[in-house]
Amino acid sequence: MNKNILGVIDATTYLDPLKELTEQRVLAALPFGGRYRLIDFVLSSMVNSGITSVGVFPKYHYRSLMDHLESGKNWDLNRKRDGLFFFPAPNLDIPFQHIGSFQCFSYHLDYFRRSSQDYAVVSNCYTILNIDFCEILDKHIENGCDITQVVHKGKPLEVYLLKRELLIDLIVQRDITGYQCLYDALEDPHIPYQVCNYEYEDYCVMIDSIQSYYETNLELLNPFNWKKLFKESQPIFTKVKDEPPTKYTRNSLVKNSMVANGCIINGHVENSIISRAVKIGKGSVVKNCVIMQKSNIGENCVLESVILDKDVRIEDGVELRGTADHPIVIKKGTVQGVLMG
Amino acid sequence: MVRKKCVAMLLAGGQGSRLNELTQNIAKPAVPFGGKYRIIDFTLSNCTNSGIDTVGVLTQYQPLVLNNYIGIGSAWDLDRKNGGVTVLPPYAETKEVKWYTGTASAIYQNINYIDRYNPEYVLVLSGDHIYKMDYSKMIDYHEEKGSDVTISVIEVPWDEASRFGIMNTNSELEITDFEEKPKNPRNNLASMGIYIFSWSVLREALIKDGENPDSTRDFGKDIIPMMLREKRKVNAYPFKGYWKDVGTIKSLWEANMDLLDETSSLDLFDHSWRIYSINPNQPPQFVASDAEVKDSLINEGCFVEGCVEKSVLFQGVTIHKDAKVCEAVVMPGAVIGEGAYIERAIVPTGLRVPENMVICPEGGREDIILVTETMIKERSMAK
Repeated sequence: MNKNILGVIDATTYLDPLKELTEQRVLAALPFGGRYRLIDFVLSSMVNSGITSVGVFPKYHYRSLMDHLESGKNWDLNRKRDGLFFFPAPNLDIPFQHIGSFQCFSYHLDYFRRSSQDYAVVSNCYTILNIDFCEILDKHIENGCDITQVVHKGKPLEVYLLKRELLIDLIVQRDITGYQCLYDALEDPHIPYQVCNYEYEDYCVMIDSIQSYYETNLELLNPFNWKKLFKESQPIFTKVKDEPPTKYTRNSLVKNSMVANGCIINGHVENSIISRAVKIGKGSVVKNCVIMQKSNIGENCVLESVILDKDVRIEDGVELRGTADHPIVIKKGTVQGVLMG
Repeated sequence: MVRKKCVAMLLAGGQGSRLNELTQNIAKPAVPFGGKYRIIDFTLSNCTNSGIDTVGVLTQYQPLVLNNYIGIGSAWDLDRKNGGVTVLPPYAETKEVKWYTGTASAIYQNINYIDRYNPEYVLVLSGDHIYKMDYSKMIDYHEEKGSDVTISVIEVPWDEASRFGIMNTNSELEITDFEEKPKNPRNNLASMGIYIFSWSVLREALIKDGENPDSTRDFGKDIIPMMLREKRKVNAYPFKGYWKDVGTIKSLWEANMDLLDETSSLDLFDHSWRIYSINPNQPPQFVASDAEVKDSLINEGCFVEGCVEKSVLFQGVTIHKDAKVCEAVVMPGAVIGEGAYIERAIVPTGLRVPENMVICPEGGREDIILVTETMIKERSMAK
């Protein structure tokens, strides 16, 4: 058991390229992989690394994030001692900063001061990965580093490990040092600290555009990636819903797809990610699509390279064809009829 | 303690010996059902959905899995400050250890538990039936009729009536007498093993029965006949809908198959009456390019590369390439090897069926096979 790291998830990020999917929700709560939300991957990694205190710093529409995380129960973070803490930004006019925004942290400095952990991991909320922070801490100590940043194939993942005391210093002295976030500090070639890189070699993707969102979802259909991400010893936790198992009728034809629970599949599904409680009507064809939870596709529809957000209704006979480079995005809660085009 | 209107007592101590190896290490209510549930989920969910938040679960036979599964009841929203779920095992007293020798003795020995809540009614349930029922309507009926006891009954086909406990009633649905598995049934109303008692009446009856050394301490054989003799008001509550006793391999298999039948009245997709269970934390199911899935119910964490037809797959099942399962129930974590063929069978939790092994009933379509470790060893040797 390693009780020595504090988890800090910066969920303040807004990325304009993902605008269509994040108009009504904070990026951390974006559904992914059939039954998860983006934040699940880093949060589960923290929990699996023995981290028992996690602070989540959201901004913008965080209702869906709060609804998803609840008391932290699904991550075993509903604890008397430590647990899950929610620190919304008190105002929205904080200028956009990279991961580890010291201003956002400064409003909740008490959390950092009261915590007893020696180290802190500061992470973004939109990277799909399954990482062991204990191993990073071991390397960090072994190499006498002040700040370790996690990199993948040389590219920074915006995940940092440092002493909690150092993090507090950086937050408090941000106007003196000029570093407004951890990213700034690491960009400075003259940074007065020992900075180390930790190369994370396993599967990981930062979701920063519709394209990467779409591709990464479909990449899960490669069993090699699937097995890298969903390890038995390091499960990805998420909010569980009491959905029944998925029902495949005699008309169903499903190939190379990932399907969550509670669906009723009456049609043809190929190379797609189908989330919880989706209904696909008779005679419909769904190919290369990402269908989010509770969407309802009528009969005799054709959907190719489409991202359907949550609660979308596609009426009978609708045809939607995107391309691999430009998938069509249908916004949350909308109805798509034949005449609407 | 805040008074409760109704406390449910769920009898979950039975062995279910007719389920053979399936209940070797677990109590019958803990047997997996329907791709993700255990049998007891149906009664526990019925309690929650009926607004009953105080449930005593009486355990005795192989309780480890069941106790662990029920936990503090949070899966069924039964983790309450006042009430909630309480597991009630038999216990030792100053002079002796008292096992639950019959259904009534299990309740008798927990009079203290029920008294804590001082309820108006006690609902006695058994944890081995599959059905969805609003117990609050039955309580209303009990109140309307001014009954001392209400027994839920279901109409069964006349030619099957001799397999059940049959309630003979008058035109007012008052029960006049009770016959256990009658050779020549006079009625076709079978007891569902669901009783509502006015607590004061039951309490008195249990204590009286407790003093009778000849009693078998059974509700059907002792308590109800005694109440009838004493001219208590015992009413039948007619239930319509899906109800199945899953006490045998065949009936357990049939009930699983009923979930695939679109005309069946047992609907798991009804959000207004959810069946709650402990959700395993597993990734979505993966259906590979070579897979073929028809007419089936599949849970999270399954990895399907072969052919699945008219089957129910529980969480974490693997069906390898060129394997085929047909009219089968495959329990959690089981693995069906490449090229294997399974028909009309139940594959228990975690079992590995080797490559190319064929398992299907030889005695005709009526048989259902419970695949076992021994069976697999014998067949592997015979090769």
